[in-house]
Amino acid sequence: MRRWIWLSVVAAFAIAYPLLLSSPFQQRLGALVLLYAIAASAWNIVGGYAGQVSVGHVVFFGCGAYAAMGSYAKFGLSPLFGIPSGIVIAVGLAAIVGVPTLRLSGHYFSMATIAVAETMRLIVTNTDWLGAAVGLSGPTVPRNIFDLSFLSSLPYYYLFLLVLVITLFITWWMTNSRMGFYLRAIKDSERAARSLGAPASRTKLYAYMLSAALTSVSGALYAMMFGFVDPESGLGILISVKILIMAALGGAGLLFGPLVGAAILVPLEEISNSWLGGKGAGLTFVVYGAIIVLIARFQPGGLLSLFTQRRKSKSDTGAGHAP
Amino acid sequence: MNLKHVTGLLCAAAMSLVLASGAWAEDKIVKIGVILPMSGGTASIGAHAKAALEVATDIINNAHPELGNLPLAKNAGLAGLGGAKIEVVIADNQGNPATGQNQALRLITEDKVAAVFGAYQSGITLTSSAIAEKYGIPYLNSESVAANLTERGFKWFFRTTPIATDFAKAYVDFLSDMKASGAKTDAIALVHDNTEYGTSVANTIAGAFKEKGQPVALDVAYPVNATDLQGQVLQLKDKKPDVIIMISYTSDAILFAKTMQSLDYKPAILLADDAGYSDPSFIKAVGKISQGVFNRSSWSVGPSGSPSAIIADMYKKKSGEEMDDTVGRQMQGFFVLADAIDRAGSTDPAKIQAALKATDLKPEQLMMGYKGVKFDDKGQNTLASGLIIQLQDGENYTAVWPKANAEKAPVLPYKGW
Repeated sequence: MRRWIWLSVVAAFAIAYPLLLSSPFQQRLGALVLLYAIAASAWNIVGGYAGQVSVGHVVFFGCGAYAAMGSYAKFGLSPLFGIPSGIVIAVGLAAIVGVPTLRLSGHYFSMATIAVAETMRLIVTNTDWLGAAVGLSGPTVPRNIFDLSFLSSLPYYYLFLLVLVITLFITWWMTNSRMGFYLRAIKDSERAARSLGAPASRTKLYAYMLSAALTSVSGALYAMMFGFVDPESGLGILISVKILIMAALGGAGLLFGPLVGAAILVPLEEISNSWLGGKGAGLTFVVYGAIIVLIARFQPGGLLSLFTQRRKSKSDTGAGHAP
Repeated sequence: MNLKHVTGLLCAAAMSLVLASGAWAEDKIVKIGVILPMSGGTASIGAHAKAALEVATDIINNAHPELGNLPLAKNAGLAGLGGAKIEVVIADNQGNPATGQNQALRLITEDKVAAVFGAYQSGITLTSSAIAEKYGIPYLNSESVAANLTERGFKWFFRTTPIATDFAKAYVDFLSDMKASGAKTDAIALVHDNTEYGTSVANTIAGAFKEKGQPVALDVAYPVNATDLQGQVLQLKDKKPDVIIMISYTSDAILFAKTMQSLDYKPAILLADDAGYSDPSFIKAVGKISQGVFNRSSWSVGPSGSPSAIIADMYKKKSGEEMDDTVGRQMQGFFVLADAIDRAGSTDPAKIQAALKATDLKPEQLMMGYKGVKFDDKGQNTLASGLIIQLQDGENYTAVWPKANAEKAPVLPYKGW
């Protein structure tokens, strides 16, 4: 019951936010929070629920971003075509990459994903057709509404909100399906899950592909909003790290964890930049570093796990009092 | 009692007058949003540019009659706006196009800047200027050289720097002059990194030579921030081109100089395309083993007492570094923007845009060696140009070409160490 009250409060706030805080910068900030929340939620499927910490997720982000800008720059189509084509490319790539790398465990999987992402960045940097180091630009002056090039951030905000809701719904549905149970079993102990007959490799691969598809959508939306992608902004390792930290800060493996992480980190980055201007350059990265250390040391489950812990300990003590 | 009240009232009145006049003076401030890389791999560029813009604001906001014809130097503030002062609002682009765009939006909508200035990296200039275009705010770029920036049909975008096509032409002319004076310049090799800057400039230069009927003989690409360049230098040593044109950032330029010395290789003519070779840290590190290298620049310090020498001095006091071409182009761009705002006599974007379009500065009104500043329909400065300079006496570049601007004659062949 309380869960539903909280949910409706959050939903109402999310819908009303751009009307409450109506300056263009605040609206854009809201849109950015949602965008990163989509990416972090997509990562959460494989990184949080399946426990496979991918540090190369930017490669799928890049698939979407390049597909969106490529649709426009190479074929004169609306960048919206980048969403389905990006999904197809990302899922295909996830299948190719996932089959060998998902066999690796722990850090080795993370390292393999970094290698894939960096290789991809170098390939794209040297591919003239994809704009090489210069990158691809979207429409500067929109031809029609399908170019999704708006002056106001409002349309982006609600579009991202819609996609986020869909992403969260897919995640929620997955966790309550057979696949979700398999994933939790695999995360706890892959060997035990296998010995009980859970198809570990296949389940992990499906989760990886699903996560890749959703990450690609976030990449496409990102490119549409900024109207530009180059190897650094579409395939740079820092984006992977950002997504990962957001999910970890809020709570990896929790449905709303990535959203909480994004809602804290994105404004922090933008605001520290505007308050400090040129003076405290790089402070954001210091904060990122500090957050990694603090989470790893004190709250590996993320901020949201504080609440679940409290609830658990409450019910534990409740049970203790019962005769 | 009464007297006390009266005094109190008078004091309050006096104080409010002081406060009011203070507030009134504060009203006359023109904010210019500046987007620069203050963190990330090119943070040093941002730090230098910040110092340069502080010097530029000092020149504009205070009286500097010693700077002669330079617009806005003589009196304090912008005469066209009743002596209003310029204020620079700096935003960090973090070397990221998305951040650059967010910051442009923030500067325009939150800080309500009259114009935007930036953003060093071509990719970030691309995304941040798109926001200014949508909001109808003038955007002045002083140092990004990617050709496509002015090919987008933008109406609010202006660029003062010479671009690749300008200096490719200068290289062709310079080398044909050298040939006329007896040097061998037939086989040309291009050495460049794989960034946007490296590849686009190399392409443009190759195109310019091809047009002249002298295709480039050898194209050597290398990954930026290289850790080993022996392969590239050996390739050059093997092919023995007459002229090498280097398009490199600082760390690679230094490594090339060291590798060439250790492999004992010297081309007859070594011509560098600005960037790393203009960085003071390049000269500090390997200036002594790069004697005779030619370089492109629009900056030459000029005789002592000249406006450019005075500005170089002010900059050195502020930053502790020698003035270089990049910083000079940034200051020049900033002056052009401030001059347009002054002539517009208003912070209304449309009026500033009109004033920028009407800009017509003569060489003697500039601190850089451009032939003037005048924008075409696309917003590109048509009179931007550069000189060829040479490292002749150990630590300092000297202007050697074209003859009209030369302080000394060019010395051939490349001496190295």
